Amino acid sequence: MGNNAPIRRFDAQKTGQMLDLFGNAGRLPVVLELLSTPWLHRASDVDAPKRIEIPVPVEWDPERGRPGSFTRKGKRYEVDQVVTQWAVDTRWWDRERAVSRRCFRVIARGGVYDLAYDRLGEQWLLVGVVD
Amino acid sequence: MWSTDVTGFVHLHVHSHFSFMDGAASLDALIERAKRLGMESLALTDHQGLSGAIRFYRKARAAGIRPIIGVEVVVEAAGIPGCEADLPPAERLARPHPAGFGRARAAGFHLTLLAKDLAGYRNLCRLLSAAHLRAASADDDAGGTRSVVTLRELHRLSEGIIALSGCRHGEVGASIEAGVPWRAREAATRLARCFAPGDFYIELTHTMTPGSGDYLRSLSDLAGELGLPVVATNNVHYLTRTDAPLHDVLSAVGARATLPGPLGRPNAELYFKDASEMRRLFSRYPTACDATLEIAARCDLDLGLGSFHFPTVELARGETAYSVLSKLAWRGLEERYRPMTPEAVRRLQHELAIIEQLGFPAYFLVVKDIVDFARRSGIRYSGRGSAGDSIVTYALGVTDADPIEHSLLFERFLNPERRQMPDIDVDFDSARRDEVIAYIYKRFGAKHVAMIATVNTMTAKSAVRVAAKALGHPPAEVDSFSRHLPWTSARKIREVLATYPECRNHPLRDARHEMLLDLTEKLDHVPMHLGTHLGGFLITAEPVDSWTPLQWAAKGTVVSQYDKDDVEALGLVKMDILGLRMHSAISQTVELARARVGADAVPEPFLLPHDDPRVYDTIAAADTVGMFQLESSGQRNLAMRLQERDFEDIIAAISLFRPGPLEAEMIVPFIRRRHGIEPVIVPHPAMGACLADSYGVIVYQEQVLQVVRAVAGFTLAEADSFRRAMTKDRSRAEMESLHAEFVRRSVALGCTTEVAEEVFRQLQGFAAYGFNKAHAACFAVVSYASAWLKTYYPAEFAAAILNNEPMGFYSPRLVLDDARRHDIGVLPPHVNVSSADCTVEGRGSAIRVGLKGLLNMNARLLPAIVEARARRPFDDLTDFLRRTRAESDAAVSLIKVGALDGLGSTDAGRPPTRDEQLVLLPELKATLAREGSGGERALLLAPSHARPPEDSSHPSGWSVARRLGAELELLGLAVTCHPLELARTDLEARGVVWARDLSRQPDRSRIVVAGLRERAQTPRTRSGKRVCFLTLEDPTGLIDVVVFPEALQRSGETIVKHRSYLVEGVLQNNQERGIAVIADIVRPYVVRASGGAPVRLRRGVGTAPMGPFRGTAGHSDESEWSAADDVAAV
Repeated sequence: MGNNAPIRRFDAQKTGQMLDLFGNAGRLPVVLELLSTPWLHRASDVDAPKRIEIPVPVEWDPERGRPGSFTRKGKRYEVDQVVTQWAVDTRWWDRERAVSRRCFRVIARGGVYDLAYDRLGEQWLLVGVVD
Repeated sequence: MWSTDVTGFVHLHVHSHFSFMDGAASLDALIERAKRLGMESLALTDHQGLSGAIRFYRKARAAGIRPIIGVEVVVEAAGIPGCEADLPPAERLARPHPAGFGRARAAGFHLTLLAKDLAGYRNLCRLLSAAHLRAASADDDAGGTRSVVTLRELHRLSEGIIALSGCRHGEVGASIEAGVPWRAREAATRLARCFAPGDFYIELTHTMTPGSGDYLRSLSDLAGELGLPVVATNNVHYLTRTDAPLHDVLSAVGARATLPGPLGRPNAELYFKDASEMRRLFSRYPTACDATLEIAARCDLDLGLGSFHFPTVELARGETAYSVLSKLAWRGLEERYRPMTPEAVRRLQHELAIIEQLGFPAYFLVVKDIVDFARRSGIRYSGRGSAGDSIVTYALGVTDADPIEHSLLFERFLNPERRQMPDIDVDFDSARRDEVIAYIYKRFGAKHVAMIATVNTMTAKSAVRVAAKALGHPPAEVDSFSRHLPWTSARKIREVLATYPECRNHPLRDARHEMLLDLTEKLDHVPMHLGTHLGGFLITAEPVDSWTPLQWAAKGTVVSQYDKDDVEALGLVKMDILGLRMHSAISQTVELARARVGADAVPEPFLLPHDDPRVYDTIAAADTVGMFQLESSGQRNLAMRLQERDFEDIIAAISLFRPGPLEAEMIVPFIRRRHGIEPVIVPHPAMGACLADSYGVIVYQEQVLQVVRAVAGFTLAEADSFRRAMTKDRSRAEMESLHAEFVRRSVALGCTTEVAEEVFRQLQGFAAYGFNKAHAACFAVVSYASAWLKTYYPAEFAAAILNNEPMGFYSPRLVLDDARRHDIGVLPPHVNVSSADCTVEGRGSAIRVGLKGLLNMNARLLPAIVEARARRPFDDLTDFLRRTRAESDAAVSLIKVGALDGLGSTDAGRPPTRDEQLVLLPELKATLAREGSGGERALLLAPSHARPPEDSSHPSGWSVARRLGAELELLGLAVTCHPLELARTDLEARGVVWARDLSRQPDRSRIVVAGLRERAQTPRTRSGKRVCFLTLEDPTGLIDVVVFPEALQRSGETIVKHRSYLVEGVLQNNQERGIAVIADIVRPYVVRASGGAPVRLRRGVGTAPMGPFRGTAGHSDESEWSAADDVAAV
């Protein structure tokens, strides 16, 4: 309830709001802004998301300490920006269900992707794609 | 000068093991990591307390890290005017899970506080004390506000404190998380107002969850809006990511849950990150990282360690503490030395001068004040420890062993070269210790006195339990894991399971429990919770809460969060007010004896001259059960070999059977030289003079000082520093330096290099193992008193020992059996005769067992019986029930142990048997319940169907075996006879040799002995092998059995799982080694009644507050093994 209160208070008009989303600066700043807005949530976070786990080759950018690019279906995706990162380490006591991952939400080729390095499987996975 | 490096970072929110079950990092590891990562400062902010703060402060400074002392407190809600329930549901915040442990635990919002300076440190102590002691007692939770800091308190006590708004469980963070920004704003505003401008920071913690970015941004925005600075923390709970599981285990069990626990942390990111990682995480908020350096620079706490803070002593005008002390000491000296000797005068002058020079007169006056109260009140006490080395304490009446007569050296107690707080320990009569404590509170004021804490850490048993609980094993399985594990450290668990015979079939050997064992090993020595020191009191001039945080202890006393080392480091005065049950037993023996033979006939045992040959005969015959410090199986063995003849021998016996001398194997040369089996050879004649009492063996620490002075010309102060230096772990270089100095000075005094080298070699070999002679001499005074009482008043002495159980080395059953072996009759408990305690009858020829120790006896019934009986004796069971309203379970116990035998009469013209009484009991209870207590004195009931008497010659109608079984089960005592008496015929047919005949058997002969297990000790030998020392008892006496590793492999399980054995082995019977059986094999032996049924040898489980006599020995398998390993660990 509390999380969506600002949205509910928003005075929506039937015709909607006219907003110049992109202006002259292109899509990236806007997407970043939207993704970093506290009250705006991704659909996959709000509803039960359809998660995926696809092994993908990732090139690590050691200088910036983040993924530099990944390849999917033969196409290379340069990472423009890391929006956020998080880590998951749960159920270590249950070998079957243990999870230990470092995750990065990245913008690449205009889409938003969740990449995860699986420490137990020692491989990179694509675990979420743009909403 | 501390730098403000813009790439640096300081962790300001750090939890250690001292967050008790919510921190998985040791202080050493945290400090070492900070040092390795190049951090110049480090904070410690454990939950709800400062238990680790002083040791952290000392360790960090020693490592060159600047310590910041802080705490994470639970604070009341600041962002709303009323309580949470007044808010609309959408705006309520979930109450964070309780933080802290034990009685310091509280649920509420977190706030991180750091001490800037001494004022801030004191305010942290006051804040914590105010919160923890808000409740009126240990069991009161003050309406849920116990251990919660109020805003009013924060406001009042914020001087010198920097506050961080807290983690996600802080009100500001929790409000942001819950999407209630107005509340976050309100809370931050109100909390900030409690502190000086610039001292309140919004705390940013990047927990590496998907929502972390939003969380940080919202907090940062809020800080900007309110004009508050931000600071970055990582809420460190463990050292590295790989330690996170350990933290999960601790926090789950701390919350009484299984994994993942109520907090269910999503990842392992609360570890000690390096500066670059923290800077990268907070790359959008560089000022938050800069702020850590700025705060660290502002925190400059100096606790002033090294100075002393004595409680106030009242002095007359114109007097100083020194002048008063010196007058009292001179007065005392006159009383102690008649005639006064020049040596005593010189010695007192010397000691008083040093005490004055070190600034300790006030401390001595405090101790004197307390013991004077005890003396005035007739409370028996005795000083102990190195304080016995001082003639001042002797003159003041604190200690009772003459330091000149026994060659005790003051510098061993107070070394002018090392200004360290003196430590005077005093034992008081246990039964009256509370009176002494009450006096201390009254004398110094309740606000100036607190008990000292102990930190309880995990052993193998507790660590297994914690790990197993976290992993979700059911309680019965958890018990089965910890049962039969010896008292050893958790990191040795695999070795123990693999090698100990009693663990051969242990469930933890199953391969499925690998993870459990891994976790157990990692939990080794992790602090679990605070305990209360047995008798340590902290006394301060200023209110004690300005020095240490206080909290309630389980016993309902106020306890400091610091242990004795912390208190000592702070320079505060601590007194050990220990209870000694032997003092109670001695006082009671004197009382019983005086009641029988007259007050004038029994002198005060502490004032006796130590020269009675009968007393030494008793000790030398190893007839020492019950004697203070001389009764253990090892001491009895030593007595056989030593053959004590004077007081110095008692001191030697007490000193030789100690871990140090035992480890250095001093006993053998001592005995051999004493009996002339080997010559006394010393490398230097002066050394011979110093070691004359101990035949050239360095047994006492004081002797090390004497030798170093005599051979190398050191002063006694230098010699004590030299001894201490040799005792501690020294590097090779340091030892070489000591060596060179000793040889140089010895040679300068005319010694040859070879002789100096040999003296040093002997000192090096023994200095670390010597025992403090003063301590032994103080104990020997009590030992002699107990030996004298046992010699002249054995019945009173045994009764007094039984009345003060648990105490000593042996079980109450053995103490009673020992009395029986001294031709003292044992009379069963009886409602018309017995008191609560054991009493002496027949002019000292018999002990009447008391009712106090009976299973199911209770605090109401016991005085009711004595009171009703005082009016007139009980006629029969009905009369007893009517007048005492005895509960059924208590009445059953009384009937079964024969306390109602011989009362009343049946149609058969004889008293009812116990079976008949047991059958009648429910009917009588029902009738009494129906009719009340009025009416006729005797109820007439139809005869019941009880089984016919087994033994019509005894009023109970019970067989000997049945009576004995009931006594053992319900009293823990064998009143009728020794249990093995029932099997005498069978045992003699097996060729068993009785204990009393062992001394007549030839050395090295093969024999079979039988006995009940009294103690089993398994100290490790020098080679690391395990030897079991069994103390068995048969009807004629005690038998010492040694089970070497090979035999232990065969018999270990039998020893643990059975209580009565047949032991086959070889007898050792010579003066050099004493009498013992070297076991080949230990077999179980079942004592059977004539009908073939086994006799129960275990007592029942007692019920509080009274129960069977609770001895410390011979009952619990686990406690025995644990006691054994305790000995090994010393």
